[in-house]
Amino acid sequence: MTWFFLPILIVASIAAWFGARGLAERRQRGIHAHSRPAQFGAWALIWTAVPALVVLIAAAVFGPAIEGSLIMGGAPEAVSELDPLRRGAFFGDARAIGAGQPATQIWPAPYAELLPAEGARVAGIGRMLDLGTVVLAALAALLGALFVFSRIRPDMRARNRVEGWVVALLFVSSAVAVLTTVGIIASLVFDSLRFFASVPIFEFLFGTQWSPQTAIRADQVGSTGAFGALPLFAGTFLIMLIAMVVAAPVGLFAAIYLSEYAGPAFRATVKPVLEVLAGVPTVVYGFFAALTVGPAFREFFNGLGALLVGGPLDGIGQYLMLVQNQMALVAGAVMGIMLIPFVSSLSDDIINAVPQSLRDGSYAMGATKSETVKRVLLPAALPGVAGAMLLAMSRAIGETMIVTMAAGLAARLTLNPLDTVTTVTVQIVTLLTGDQEFNSPKTLAAFGLGLTLFLVTLALNIIAQRIVHTYRQQYD
Amino acid sequence: MKFKIFHAPDGANSGSGDTDTRVLTPPPVLHSADPDAPTKITAREVSVFYGDKQALHDVSLDIPDKTVTALIGPSGCGKSTFLRTMNRMNDTIPGARVVGRIEMDGEDVNAKSVDPVLLRARVGMVFQKPNPFPKTIYENVAYGPRIHGLADGKPELDGIVEDSLKRAGLWEEVADRLHSPGTGLSGGQQQRLVIARAIAVEPEVILMDEPCSALDPIATARIEELIDELRERYCIVIVTHSMAQAARVSQRTAFFHLGRLIETGDTEDIFTNPRERRTLDYITGRFG
Repeated sequence: MTWFFLPILIVASIAAWFGARGLAERRQRGIHAHSRPAQFGAWALIWTAVPALVVLIAAAVFGPAIEGSLIMGGAPEAVSELDPLRRGAFFGDARAIGAGQPATQIWPAPYAELLPAEGARVAGIGRMLDLGTVVLAALAALLGALFVFSRIRPDMRARNRVEGWVVALLFVSSAVAVLTTVGIIASLVFDSLRFFASVPIFEFLFGTQWSPQTAIRADQVGSTGAFGALPLFAGTFLIMLIAMVVAAPVGLFAAIYLSEYAGPAFRATVKPVLEVLAGVPTVVYGFFAALTVGPAFREFFNGLGALLVGGPLDGIGQYLMLVQNQMALVAGAVMGIMLIPFVSSLSDDIINAVPQSLRDGSYAMGATKSETVKRVLLPAALPGVAGAMLLAMSRAIGETMIVTMAAGLAARLTLNPLDTVTTVTVQIVTLLTGDQEFNSPKTLAAFGLGLTLFLVTLALNIIAQRIVHTYRQQYD
Repeated sequence: MKFKIFHAPDGANSGSGDTDTRVLTPPPVLHSADPDAPTKITAREVSVFYGDKQALHDVSLDIPDKTVTALIGPSGCGKSTFLRTMNRMNDTIPGARVVGRIEMDGEDVNAKSVDPVLLRARVGMVFQKPNPFPKTIYENVAYGPRIHGLADGKPELDGIVEDSLKRAGLWEEVADRLHSPGTGLSGGQQQRLVIARAIAVEPEVILMDEPCSALDPIATARIEELIDELRERYCIVIVTHSMAQAARVSQRTAFFHLGRLIETGDTEDIFTNPRERRTLDYITGRFG
């Protein structure tokens, strides 16, 4: 209900803007004033809207707690004696009846009789609080507006006051971004610590057995839970390696072609297309991997195996015949394809940033284009390109959808690209999807994995940015 | 517009006997031209277009060997564009088109049969801003010989590097740090390194595009000295904004204005007794 106040507040703020501007225009007529009328208008608008918004936000944050204590304070004895869960349900129904809706359950004697009266009381408290909020907000808006209107004088520095508010707005925006990140990290660290209280960190980092199913009831068998994350790290690393083997050369060569050889028309077409490719949702790549590439690879390896069976390479043939749709190679290859636009776009920018004077110098020595690329441009761009590769790696490590769909779920400690493997991200997904209880080691393991993943990608990003940064300085 | 292509120097007109009240401050000319120097490069009716825009109009000019020829003129007058036609550097600019005939030793440099890559090995170029490659001093100088396969084995390459650095007057300053980065040198040293890099491939012509405009006066003096030494072996064409520099280092001068060649002749004549009003205005600093 308090939200009906918002349109009124907007109208009032706009009215304050026009009013303050008009007043300022009149008062500074013929005088060389410090600030322009529109700046007084903006100042009045801010002082009308912000105090009221602060009241509304405070009401939204603290309102439920105040309402709860008011409701509890006047509750009949029979209701107060209920356990908290039942009490909550009772007041929920009371609120419903107060609003004219039916109760969700049938309450036994004394409660059934108490409900209508309690419903009326609860609704009354709600109305009172809403009214109080609106009155407070209106009062705040009024006081704010009065504050500004009483200060509209030619020598008032409204210009600087508005500037201060703009700075405050920008600061709050950046603070929100930083603080949320800090909050996420804090929650990761906090829950990881709870996890490491039940699973030793050494066992987590170096254990080779990953089977996170734990017994929920004492009589369950066969799910003891093992939290050695090494197979997950190995799987992540293997898929990242395959992806980089695909993406690094193709992306780099594409960048060289685009920046040094391609004509303006070709470049103008291909570059946007590459950038669009970089924006394709990874889940699309995921089902491309699972439904197209996976079966194609399996058929190829099965066919190859069939050829080898019975020959001198019989063992390998037997193995290849049994290769499945899901394997590290499929996930890695498709992830590599996903990373090509990313690598080429970054590398293209970096190669373009090499000063033209170096190209001229090399051409003037009688070097061909490829000699110039190989001997001058790439060495000059190498730090930046290395940074781009590290960024691509950290993306590959953090990628989830493709591996979920194409790499499998078996936590195997292997470097065989034809095996199904699983990665850190996939395990986090499987640990946290579905119904979970949030204090078993099984779910907490996700936070341990998340923290590890976060630290690895953070380190990669810091190294990459350092490299790119030092490279930038070289030519400024 | 019609121009006298080769203005033969006449000794009677070279001194300062005929005191010219029109010339406010003619810069002193240091070296006289050698009238017997054979022509190295001949340009006839050369025009350059960047897209639809014509940057150079029908320039015809003879450039003698073992001589420093200065191209002067205000910014945007086409002197750098003309310089770049001589080693076909305009080929690397998309949309650039050159018409007319440029001959080096009687051979058309724009002919289909001429590979610009090999042409550029014969015509070295030094740019406005020192542009050493992000490699060591040694690797910078060895760049050309490596590309063109001029050295058999390390000792010969070492010899070429040392010889080039000596001729560029840089050897004594860098002999003990050949393997430190070329970009760590001072601006003047970098420019001499770039000159060493250019002469390492034994070119016949060296083109210099305002080689001192990014340098301080002392480094400039050093480069000018070097240009004078290099004149013994090479045909040098230098684009410069500084009239004083043109007077100090060159024997021949060509004045460009608005994409056209206005006047050419011995530096002494151009600076003491120009035939064109615009040349006079430019060298005396009335515009430009």
